[in-house]
Amino acid sequence: MGTEEKILVIVPAYNEEGSVGKVVEEVHIHLPQAEVLVVNDGSTDLTSEIAKSKGAIVLNLPFNLGIGGAMQTGYQYAYEKGYDIAIQVDGDGQHDPKEIGKLLKGLAEKKIDIAIGSRFIVDSGYKSSVMRRVGISVFSKVISTIARQKITDPTSGFRAASRKAIQIFATEYPQDYPEPEALVLLHQCQLKIGEVPVAMSERYSGESSITKIRSIYYMVKVLLAIFVDCFKKPPLLEQER
Amino acid sequence: MLIKVQIIVGVLSIILLLITFELIRKKRLREEYAILWLFTGIVVLVFSLWPAFFLSQFFVKMTGIFYLSAVVLIAFFFLLLIVFHFSVVISKLTGQNKDLAQQYALLELEFKEWKKRYLPPSSTPS
Repeated sequence: MGTEEKILVIVPAYNEEGSVGKVVEEVHIHLPQAEVLVVNDGSTDLTSEIAKSKGAIVLNLPFNLGIGGAMQTGYQYAYEKGYDIAIQVDGDGQHDPKEIGKLLKGLAEKKIDIAIGSRFIVDSGYKSSVMRRVGISVFSKVISTIARQKITDPTSGFRAASRKAIQIFATEYPQDYPEPEALVLLHQCQLKIGEVPVAMSERYSGESSITKIRSIYYMVKVLLAIFVDCFKKPPLLEQER
Repeated sequence: MLIKVQIIVGVLSIILLLITFELIRKKRLREEYAILWLFTGIVVLVFSLWPAFFLSQFFVKMTGIFYLSAVVLIAFFFLLLIVFHFSVVISKLTGQNKDLAQQYALLELEFKEWKKRYLPPSSTPS
């Protein structure tokens, strides 16, 4: 690779004071060359202060935008500041910073634009509710069909993105529950998608933001959005240098 | 019977027009949102002033609807338009609101970094 690449780890966090500090610390341990950006999505607790005290760059959104808006802000920062690779790691601690190396390796070796950390390529012992598994498998089928390649874990928010993907996400990023839709967007822009097996640990603290009834609502909403996306034109991007 | 309906509908539409006009005058309603309301008021007023056309056999044969139902239908149609217009406007505002929040957060961070870099630490009480 020659020169050192600029890597940014984006950690979206909404009221994650119990876990965000640990996430930041661990990223610093396992990936000392990367900067950590915590996007504080209008938290009402000490998320911002804790993240800052652990040495992260903190972006404070004035109010809660939802995960999509927060992630996009991170990508906009990465784009503006000229980062080559952006890695998404959840602030709730379900993504293990130890595994980031695998994502980076996958991104470089497979020459892809986004490396998704998948829980399902090899059995990682990931347990979840029936609802969730059904949802994931439906999305997996839909996204695999659209992208014409097998995507086992389209809902995983543990990803590494190339400069090209960063640029696209900075311009356009789906809103709530954005992960599957973001892949459709990349596919339309003819970027390469790949998956890397990772292990995911239990959440350090907090509740999943997706409860039962809401998960049905999100399923319908995201499927509708994906359906509409298929008829959209990809965003026009200015050529870089 | 008809004159009653006429008076009620006419008065209602005039009240609607007056309220809309008053709100525009006080700048509590922007013109672009008022246009559809004014239009609704005017159309319904026309209905109550010239009912003859809508009572004619021709109109009834054409559309199959009678006077009162016609008024209700037209009013409903316009309300539908207005609500739809609002959905579009709200979507646009939501997007702009998001963009603003993002730009704000990015600028704030940039600003803090500049402050840290160019102001001596002693003069920045935290």
